[in-house]
Amino acid sequence: MLRFDPQEARRAAQCSAAGILGLALLTLIAFRLHLNFAAASSCYLLLVILLSLSGDMFSSALVSVAAVGCLDYYFVEPVLSFRIEKSVNVLALASFLVTGLIIARLVAKVRAKAATSQVHHERLQQLYELAQKLLALQPDVAVGKDFLELFIGVFGIEAACLYDAVGGELQFAGHPRALLEEKTGEAFARGKDRDDPVNRIHARCIRIAGSVTGAIGFEGLDDPQTAGPLGALGAAHLERTHSFRKASRAAASAHTESYRSAILDALAHEFKTPLSTILTAAGALREAGTLGPHHREMAETVESEAARLSRLTMRLIRTARLEQEEVRPWMELMDLASVIEETVEPYARMSAERSICVVKECNSSDVQADPELIRLLVGQLLDNACKYSTPGSPVTLRVSRQGDQLALRVFSSGNPIDASEKPKIFDRFYRGAGGQRRAPGSGLGLFVARKIALAHGGRLELEDDDPADGTVFCLSLPVPEPERRSERNDIATAV
Amino acid sequence: MNVMISPQPSKTFSVLVVDDEPSLRKVIRASLAASGFAVEEAGTGKDAVAAIRQRPFDIVLLDVNMPGISGVEACRQIRALAPRAGIVMVTVRDAEEDKVRALEAGADDYVTKPFRFRELVARLGAVLRRTHTVRDAEADVLQAGDLKLELERHLLSKRGEPVRLSPKEFDLLAYLMKNQGAPMTHVKLLRAVWGPEYGGELEYLRSYVRMLRKKIEDDPARPQYILTEAWVGYRFRNPSDPDQPVNQEEQ
Repeated sequence: MLRFDPQEARRAAQCSAAGILGLALLTLIAFRLHLNFAAASSCYLLLVILLSLSGDMFSSALVSVAAVGCLDYYFVEPVLSFRIEKSVNVLALASFLVTGLIIARLVAKVRAKAATSQVHHERLQQLYELAQKLLALQPDVAVGKDFLELFIGVFGIEAACLYDAVGGELQFAGHPRALLEEKTGEAFARGKDRDDPVNRIHARCIRIAGSVTGAIGFEGLDDPQTAGPLGALGAAHLERTHSFRKASRAAASAHTESYRSAILDALAHEFKTPLSTILTAAGALREAGTLGPHHREMAETVESEAARLSRLTMRLIRTARLEQEEVRPWMELMDLASVIEETVEPYARMSAERSICVVKECNSSDVQADPELIRLLVGQLLDNACKYSTPGSPVTLRVSRQGDQLALRVFSSGNPIDASEKPKIFDRFYRGAGGQRRAPGSGLGLFVARKIALAHGGRLELEDDDPADGTVFCLSLPVPEPERRSERNDIATAV
Repeated sequence: MNVMISPQPSKTFSVLVVDDEPSLRKVIRASLAASGFAVEEAGTGKDAVAAIRQRPFDIVLLDVNMPGISGVEACRQIRALAPRAGIVMVTVRDAEEDKVRALEAGADDYVTKPFRFRELVARLGAVLRRTHTVRDAEADVLQAGDLKLELERHLLSKRGEPVRLSPKEFDLLAYLMKNQGAPMTHVKLLRAVWGPEYGGELEYLRSYVRMLRKKIEDDPARPQYILTEAWVGYRFRNPSDPDQPVNQEEQ
């Protein structure tokens, strides 16, 4: 594109004036010395070449034409006249003119090439410096002002705008016009680079792994060709920041997990002594025999509530431990149904408005298991059933024999678990969307419950064929070998 | 409540309460004093050992986790100074190694924090009864509930019916019954019944307990006599004993 550059014009005028002056001086000297045409034309050619080296093409061409005039006037017969008598002189003048013009053209071309390569070099230098500054930027700093500020001033950029679709952030630097935001937004929305040469606004899409993840726009960019590399630099930085954020989130979450367990553990330990103090004081008060019935009842409430708190604390501490450590069951022959009944008892006492019943559908419910761990597991299932079911609705625990397995099914109604959540409910720290709103919890209970089931060689699952409005958890434990034999013998005898 | 631990109803038992937590110490002191004990306090294991040097105590309630010398070390020193004093350790759940170490260092029993007052009193009472009842070392017949063990004749009967036991089963049951009410660590049982070179053969002991339960319990899956102290050992329970161990989960 041709543009009128006043600076360039002034320079051309200066060179032309100097050339004309030089030509006049040279003509005066050559005329005084009575140089012939050949010698004078050589001197003029030298002048044109010199001028081409330092000046521009316009001045060189102008001086070439003027030199032809001078040659004709002062050195071609008849001298001091523009008339040319011999045709050979016309040829000589014409060849001088052509030579002068060609030299001017060639030199200008070389100079222009040198200038372009200089510009390219400078541009590369600037891009390199920008890339270095971007690399030096801490990736944990939010993608935004700090990052965009680096672009300001480079290649004449007056303002920059970044839209990061991953973080959903729009950032500005410099003093942008409304148009910059509009063009950047357009580039992202259409997935195409946008250029507005009139307003010198250039917006580039940011693509990571083929998909558009944002857009970056520059206002006041001198050279539209640099918009591409600048956009690429922006994209690289954005991707780097995103990966860094992802990595630090993962590290932070791992750190939080262990921190959380440690705190839970420490807190639970700290609770034990004050709880013992309260329990002892309340128990002694109750048994002192000096209290009236009303005060005695209050002392009993303090004691039973402190006992409940201590039960919950113990569960918390055990769950926190089992979450991190390997579950080591102390296996012995135990009656699953009676352990379940023992576990249900305090729940039934506390929630009188709800019926919690245990149904045993097999003769023997003996299993090899750790009673304490099974109590913890059943307590967790009961907790879940009470927390997430319709208030007041019944909870049923059914123990039955299924081949070589003893199964405990916990039925509760209301608030069934969403199909999309089912695969996740046993994940560590997973809390259902409904659960987070409805009931407090650590998100560890079911994870630990399943861990306990697995450590016993059993399984804990959410049954797929739930009743329409409810939830069924099923714990299955292997029946011990002698039990299996006796059962088979019974069958054989019956047959 | 009046906790008069027979067989000497007139005697007031002296208790040394050792805990680094002043409020718990204060409450235990007041509660036990109200129940008829003469109570002294110590804040550290070192102070406790010093107090024992000064005067004898019938029973020491000793916290296992204390700054300075540990509860287990204090227990060992107290046991050396006062072989006849009862020692009850205060431990926390999930610290089974502490319980085992305390029992091996000479403790008679333990209570697990957080405990209820009546559980504490029952445990102290049981230990006092064991340490203050002069058992007839020559006693030939041990009885507990429906069980009757005749040492001399190597006979066990349940509700009058003879029960056949192997010699090792008999020795194990006899040892447990002689120490009824007290927790016995696995190592202690193995060494007492099988010999001093034993100690790590857990599975061995467990299978003997399994067989014994089959023979003496009405329902082996719900044992009434041989109770499990998970990761620690076993405790023989006499159904006619007034101080029954309290199952903490059922508090």
